Amino acid sequence: MNALYLYSGWVRAWHWLNALLFLVLILSGASMHFAGTGWLLNFEIARPIHNVAGILVTIGWIGFVIGNLVTDNGRHYRVHLRGFFQRLFSQMRYYGYGIFQNEPHPFHPSAEMKLNTLQQLSYLGVMYLLMPVLILSGWAFLFSIYLPETLFGLGSVWVVAMTHLTVAYFLALFVLVHLYIITTGDTLSSNLRAMITGWHRETHPESQG
Amino acid sequence: MALSGTLLLTLMTMAPPATPAAPATDNKSCLRCHAMATLAYRDPGTGEIVDLAIEPHALSHSVHGELDCIDCHEGEFDRYPHPSDAANETLSCLGCHEKDDTEDNIARYQSIDAEYAESVHATSDAPEVEGFSCHSCHDPHGFRASQVGEKIAAIVRDGNQVCLSCHEKLRDPFSPHHAWLPNREKHWDAVRCLDCHTPLSDTEQKVSHRILPPEESNRDCVNCHSKEPSLLNRLYQYRSEEDLATKGWLNKAVFNDAYVVGMSRNATLDLLGLIVIGLTLLVLAAHGYGRYKAYQRTKGDPK
Repeated sequence: MNALYLYSGWVRAWHWLNALLFLVLILSGASMHFAGTGWLLNFEIARPIHNVAGILVTIGWIGFVIGNLVTDNGRHYRVHLRGFFQRLFSQMRYYGYGIFQNEPHPFHPSAEMKLNTLQQLSYLGVMYLLMPVLILSGWAFLFSIYLPETLFGLGSVWVVAMTHLTVAYFLALFVLVHLYIITTGDTLSSNLRAMITGWHRETHPESQG
Repeated sequence: MALSGTLLLTLMTMAPPATPAAPATDNKSCLRCHAMATLAYRDPGTGEIVDLAIEPHALSHSVHGELDCIDCHEGEFDRYPHPSDAANETLSCLGCHEKDDTEDNIARYQSIDAEYAESVHATSDAPEVEGFSCHSCHDPHGFRASQVGEKIAAIVRDGNQVCLSCHEKLRDPFSPHHAWLPNREKHWDAVRCLDCHTPLSDTEQKVSHRILPPEESNRDCVNCHSKEPSLLNRLYQYRSEEDLATKGWLNKAVFNDAYVVGMSRNATLDLLGLIVIGLTLLVLAAHGYGRYKAYQRTKGDPK
């Protein structure tokens, strides 16, 4: 049994708050987008819920970025080019093939590197590319009168709406894959436990390559 | 303007004042009689009841509130009884309004003229539109343009009231004319008749004076609710400005009253998004099944 303290208190608190807000935003956002469909929230209720959750997720995102700047959590998001493609392909090969052959995980987290290369790339894309676009387009919805009347020859509000919608679909997709990948740890629940307790445990450290 | 039959004709019962020492030229003198809600007479020629009442509050708050009555009514109205030919006075908006001969103003009135010439109020053969003029909608004793900061519901109500004062039948809940419109009452509370019944104009003027007949009016939901930039901007941006002006940015951020149902909808993106999400779920389910099979193999064949 090998245990590593990988997720500090603030990271876990931020993660679970963000997770809750994501669910609220997806539900209330879908309720506004597909308003009139039976099983969703009432439009009038969904609108302020979505806006408040959006404001909180913005604050959370700023906190996440600052946290990564002032603590050593930020190093997990710095891409190391040496052996990058080899690590990426071995991770992809594992999910696409090795996992069905009961092969051991190709990657073992350490205090210096807790994210595998595939994980690191998707989190970078989500947190530093999609999230800023989502947040900016969300705020642009609220303060659209400060935008020019048209962007790229199209009405600004429509451009903002389509950007927000597209990014929202990508992030909903991310949540689905993320939820599934949680179960691919050492046991079905070991990754989930790690994000709750902060401790990453591997039961067969001796099988490390 | 014709009034209902129960109107009291008070004009005849009024006692004429004693010979005035000086001609009465201030609004107060005029309103002494004309502020009476029931002041009217029956035109001997047509038999129509002619309403002579002025609502003093509406007048003082109107765009003409600063003017004296006699600035426009130039006949010999300072005497009572008014001379009989005073009623034949001709009032013309453009007579006063074109006095402002700045280029912008002239261009503005020219575009209004051109738009109005194509309006259903100018082109229709219906007997009701006979004698239609600026005053038919813009009551000079009450009209004022809406300002940012006023309650939108009130602007919509007052604006629609102008149309409904003639188009009375539309109020009938069983009227078939707007039966196609989902949430008809909600639309009527929230948007002006003009928002659908005018074309989008490129001029400075926010709303065109070319009122469209029903068959040419906007019936396409997406024109307001999603993509058409000008109509959407007209509605959404005005509301946003209004929200910010009256409620402050925090309330705006939390409530955003401007948001219109379906604004973000796009059939292509939605279909694509939902297909990709559906396929991903299938792949994940298949992946999970594959892992389960692999797990069963380890149980059957422990190393």
